[in-house]
Amino acid sequence: MGKVKIKNLKKSFGDLEVLKDINLEVKEREVICIIGASGSGKSTLLRCINALEDASSGTIEVDGNDITRADGNINKYRQDIGMVFQQFNLFPHMTVLKNISFAPVALKLKTKEEAEETALKLLRRVDLEEKANVYPEQLSGGQQQRVAIARALAMNPDVMLFDEPTSALDPEMVGEVLNVMKQLAKDGMTMIVVTHEMGFAREVADRVIFIDEGFIVEEGPPSEIFGNPKNQRTINFLNKVL
Amino acid sequence: MNILALIVQYWPRLIAGLGLTVQITIISLILAGILGMVFGLLSVSKRKSLRAIALVYVDIVRGTPLLVQAFFIYFGIPAALGIQSDPVVSGVITLSLNAGGYLAEIVRGGIESISRGQMEAARSLGLPYGMAMRSVILPQAIRTMTPALINQCIITLKDTSLLSVIGVTELTQTGRLIIANNYQSFEVWAIVAMMYFIIIMILSKISKRIERKMSYGKSKN
Repeated sequence: MGKVKIKNLKKSFGDLEVLKDINLEVKEREVICIIGASGSGKSTLLRCINALEDASSGTIEVDGNDITRADGNINKYRQDIGMVFQQFNLFPHMTVLKNISFAPVALKLKTKEEAEETALKLLRRVDLEEKANVYPEQLSGGQQQRVAIARALAMNPDVMLFDEPTSALDPEMVGEVLNVMKQLAKDGMTMIVVTHEMGFAREVADRVIFIDEGFIVEEGPPSEIFGNPKNQRTINFLNKVL
Repeated sequence: MNILALIVQYWPRLIAGLGLTVQITIISLILAGILGMVFGLLSVSKRKSLRAIALVYVDIVRGTPLLVQAFFIYFGIPAALGIQSDPVVSGVITLSLNAGGYLAEIVRGGIESISRGQMEAARSLGLPYGMAMRSVILPQAIRTMTPALINQCIITLKDTSLLSVIGVTELTQTGRLIIANNYQSFEVWAIVAMMYFIIIMILSKISKRIERKMSYGKSKN
């Protein structure tokens, strides 16, 4: 059964049609990497999955819930969809520990003690336990992004969405973030990753999706997409980035 | 000297005037704070109609002189309704509405200065809009807003002097009344100006201290 089911998704900004007809099914524990040029619509697709952008038409089911017709339930649905942003978006006025424990406490899912205990466990998982009481601005980009991953995991999501999680990082910090994501994939998290890291996609993805001009042009296991791409547009794109 | 003697002689009246000035300022700023927060939040709403309401309010406040607003509220509205109006109450209403408009703009600017990613991150965790605004956006926005907020407090304090024209016996009106008795215009206005100056200096000193205290845990670690 599909964890995420996207049918005939279209999205326009004014006259500009960014997603033209997207159909995609993501299975439980599957790791999907979405690749494509800037402006191809891949980030928009990701943002539609947790309704940061409203779909113009089509349906997006996550765990059987239709995100596009969520109405009053969207906050509930979003709790199960973790999101990691290119710019980290940690809350600068909260310590690392508070960043991670804040939402579960505010939403009354956990007591403060439980949430902080979970937060510490997650910090251990991203190898930043000693940074629990510092503020985000005192961390490097790579550390901030690992905290952001921990913050998303604190909601115990069913799916994790990554929107170019390493694009804003200095090159030497990309590895530490990718390693956390690899571990997450190994642990069986369902993941949809928009990325320019072809190495990561090749190594970790179960399926790679190439998006161009609002369509899924080609999809398949990484060995096929990278080793033997069939569509000319995929070939052109890969020639440019590899 | 002459001025000292005057200060001693009129001290109770001057202090009473200053007291009323400060009271009107504080009450007006509290009410203006509420108005500013409400209309500031309306002005960043997703709904066009709510934004329009805030826009009309702010435009009216900014597009008319404070003195005209005071006359309208003290003379105009009571005349139309056939009621008696109290100068202090009218004065407080005027200043509240006026400062509220400016504060709404400050609140809007403060909220808009926070990157969109903050709201998105909060919402992506499942927080409802109001909770995200209250716990994530506003605490950050208030820090950026602080200098402008303090500036508005000082402006409102000074604006109370305009209420003398509708007969509120705040500090400026007290000065006018004293001069009506003794004709010592130079000395009395010098005293009144000094009193405003001292209060405002105290306020700005306090505000500088608050501003310094408000930078994020930078002193820690």
